[in-house]
Amino acid sequence: MTDRNPGLSENDRCYTCMTATFRIQRYNPEKDAKPYFKDYTLTDLDPTFRVLDALHEIKWKIDGTLTFRRSCAHGMCGSDGVRINGKNGLACAVLLKDINTSKPIVIEPLPFLPIIKDLTVDQSDFFRKYEMIKPYLITHEPPPQMERLQSPEDAELLMEPTKCIMCACCTTSCPSLWSNENYLGPAAILRGFRFAFDSRDEAPEDHMAAMDSQDGVWRCHTIFNCVEACPKEINITWHISQVKKQLVTMEL
Amino acid sequence: MSYTPYREPFSAWNKLILAYRRHSGSWAYILHRLTGIGLVAYLFIHIWALSSLTHGRAAFAEEMKTFTTPPFKVGEWLLGALVMFHAFNGIRIAVVDLANGAKYHKKLLGAVWVTGVAVVVLMFFLIFSTDLFAK
Repeated sequence: MTDRNPGLSENDRCYTCMTATFRIQRYNPEKDAKPYFKDYTLTDLDPTFRVLDALHEIKWKIDGTLTFRRSCAHGMCGSDGVRINGKNGLACAVLLKDINTSKPIVIEPLPFLPIIKDLTVDQSDFFRKYEMIKPYLITHEPPPQMERLQSPEDAELLMEPTKCIMCACCTTSCPSLWSNENYLGPAAILRGFRFAFDSRDEAPEDHMAAMDSQDGVWRCHTIFNCVEACPKEINITWHISQVKKQLVTMEL
Repeated sequence: MSYTPYREPFSAWNKLILAYRRHSGSWAYILHRLTGIGLVAYLFIHIWALSSLTHGRAAFAEEMKTFTTPPFKVGEWLLGALVMFHAFNGIRIAVVDLANGAKYHKKLLGAVWVTGVAVVVLMFFLIFSTDLFAK
């Protein structure tokens, strides 16, 4: 990428910039039988670049066929979850200086989910499980004139789970899901917690029903892969453990 | 427009456990599973060894004599190490599931290692004291 700043002389060159190789998993459903890895070497990378910037450099300047999802590019929409150097994360939230760039940086799609093309995965299974916990407020009475009120303490409990952006990094990092594809997964249970523990919700047992099933919270073996992967730093396992605790202490 | 999404073979999940980036929690999970399998295997050997009781008191005493030889003592010590990790990590899992352990699970694993290693070192002296200090 020597033509990035064509107007600059040799003296103005960026000397903190670095070179890195990106080993990206490619898969074209029209041509390939199996995914394969392809290396791209980029020079003049700034250490404060995010992995997403590097993907953009590759797509815009080297290989336009590289396919990946991204929308806001600011860690809010949760579109660009990928597996970077073996660990799930948002491409737009991981800086190059925070990962090992001495070896090729391996970028793969999120594990477990079907690969549509290159780094794009089919998330319909992930969202189907999300819908199973009924992710909406259930009330039996007509809504009040004003908003539904809640004490600050009750709202504080929901602060952490509502930070979830549904990027699927946690669910696809879970070994319990890899070995049992029916497992709800951390993201769905976190949303289940958000509604079942909401003081305004009048039917927590409706949300709990899916979570208390054979493929619900009891499949969580507290491996903490989800907590390590979460780009929003939510302690998902703590929320799952609270659901477990609620279920074992609940009166039948 | 149709496409064929690529799906990893379902059997790939155990490979993924080793390929995915490991950290304290996943190491604890892997070791807990492996020690669990080891303990179940030991249980079968244990029952099989006790079956010499059906051949009378003398046969059993004869067999017990072989179990006091050094190789078996070392094996017993290693078995104790497996039990210690599985037991202490089991307590850690219970604390994570039924208390607020998820908020300090890395410290809990540190405590598992410290107490586990301490007990295993203590066991070394208990098991080998007759060989080391009896003279």
